[in-house]
Amino acid sequence: MRFDTFVRHAVRAQFRGLPPADEFVRHALDAGVGSIALLTLLTIFAGMNLSVQAYGTFARFGGQEMLGLFCGVGGIRELYPVMAAVVCGARIGATLAASLANMQISEQVEALEVMGIDPMRRLIAPRLWAVTLMLPLLCAYANVVGICASYFAAVHQMGINEGVFISQVKEIVHLPDLFAGVVKGVIFGWLVAIVACYHGYRAAKRDGAEGVGIATNRAIVHAAVLCIVLNMFLSALMYA
Amino acid sequence: MPEGSLYRMAAADINAAVVFEKVSKSFGSHVVLNEVSLLIPKGAIMVMLGPSGTGKSVLLRCLVGLIKPDSGRILVFNEDLTRLDDQRSADRHKLFALRRRFGMLFQDGALFDDMSVGDNVAFPMRQHTKMSEPEIRARVAENLERVGLPGTERKMVSELSGGMRKRAAFARAIALRPDIVLCDEPSSGLDPVMSATLDDLILELHRTLGMTFIVISHDTAEARAIATHIGLLYQGKLQVFGEAHTVLQSSHAHVRQFFERNTQGPIKVL
Repeated sequence: MRFDTFVRHAVRAQFRGLPPADEFVRHALDAGVGSIALLTLLTIFAGMNLSVQAYGTFARFGGQEMLGLFCGVGGIRELYPVMAAVVCGARIGATLAASLANMQISEQVEALEVMGIDPMRRLIAPRLWAVTLMLPLLCAYANVVGICASYFAAVHQMGINEGVFISQVKEIVHLPDLFAGVVKGVIFGWLVAIVACYHGYRAAKRDGAEGVGIATNRAIVHAAVLCIVLNMFLSALMYA
Repeated sequence: MPEGSLYRMAAADINAAVVFEKVSKSFGSHVVLNEVSLLIPKGAIMVMLGPSGTGKSVLLRCLVGLIKPDSGRILVFNEDLTRLDDQRSADRHKLFALRRRFGMLFQDGALFDDMSVGDNVAFPMRQHTKMSEPEIRARVAENLERVGLPGTERKMVSELSGGMRKRAAFARAIALRPDIVLCDEPSSGLDPVMSATLDDLILELHRTLGMTFIVISHDTAEARAIATHIGLLYQGKLQVFGEAHTVLQSSHAHVRQFFERNTQGPIKVL
């Protein structure tokens, strides 16, 4: 099945009534709760690293007090949403692609069709909804954890004044910025899910176990590339 | 009179479950089905024999609309399956409704591996009927009992052996009491005792529930044991098709070679 045909069928299935609740809840929990530990760990280190790197650069011309501005702009507007999309997207995308490819190869998808059940409604729609709704929440969560980590490194490690850091973050980050991160999360979430579902769904029985690996690999690479490229255009659209 | 018309008349006459009218299917230059015509009466156990890779599974997949033939017609209870375009929403709906009259036993079972055995068997009932949960549980227990797997409702698919998976898949295939049960190589990968058990199961279901069975196989012993009708497919062509006793006594070269397990004859080893 071509990608455009798959997207057409998937979108039609996604918006034709509510998705099956059991499948939706299972995938939402896996995408959301299952990603929290990984995202927390990586965002803490990314946030602290952002402060450390920026401090070194700004200190050369005595601008270390601008650390809050940089962490606000670079972190909340760009780094954390993309990181949530790429890191969680890779994890979620790999799971989706592998499970669907396995279902194709073991004829479980055909079994659904023979039972008169539309696989797009049963399998694809709940996965699309689950990831589309969970990724913005993960982006928002990454923003909070990331900025806290940056604050910790800036204030407690590099000795930046607490009030200065907070006021600069407040000065540069406004509600629309947080909203923009959520919007990016929705777009990235849908994109990660549709790409992963496509690669998993197009696996065939003849591909064997290797087909699962190929589908997973393609899902991760394509979703990551698409998210990073799209982020540039979205940022240009939102902030230019 | 064109052959197609003949088949349509015959279908109306004897209350056919399935009619294939000159069905052809190719993948690239490889012809898999070449003008296959046959008529399966309601209540028959039709065993389609043939060497591996000769198009038997494609025939089965055409029958449930998973593969669209290049030409010809497939009538299921006089409904022309080949006219339904699964890209069109209305046709897709009709196709799914028609498929609910089928139960299919896949070669490797195709059980949903994230569900328990009980949930697998209950799945079609939960999807397509308004049966209450106690009714569904009772039907699940009854079906698992029928296939010799009582009390396995809570087991996960990964805990089952190959033979048990096939029997659990059988329980799922008959969950909705379909009009036609399709079996893709039911005896492959099973020991002779387990194969005979599955054959007995097919005969019992045929006797008690009156279902039509279409069995794809290369096991001649299975065909002798259960078939009311036998077909032999070789290189995409239906070499012979008819009532089992007629085919088994036939002097047709393909039939003799296949049933006598002879390496010499028209069927070449690829």
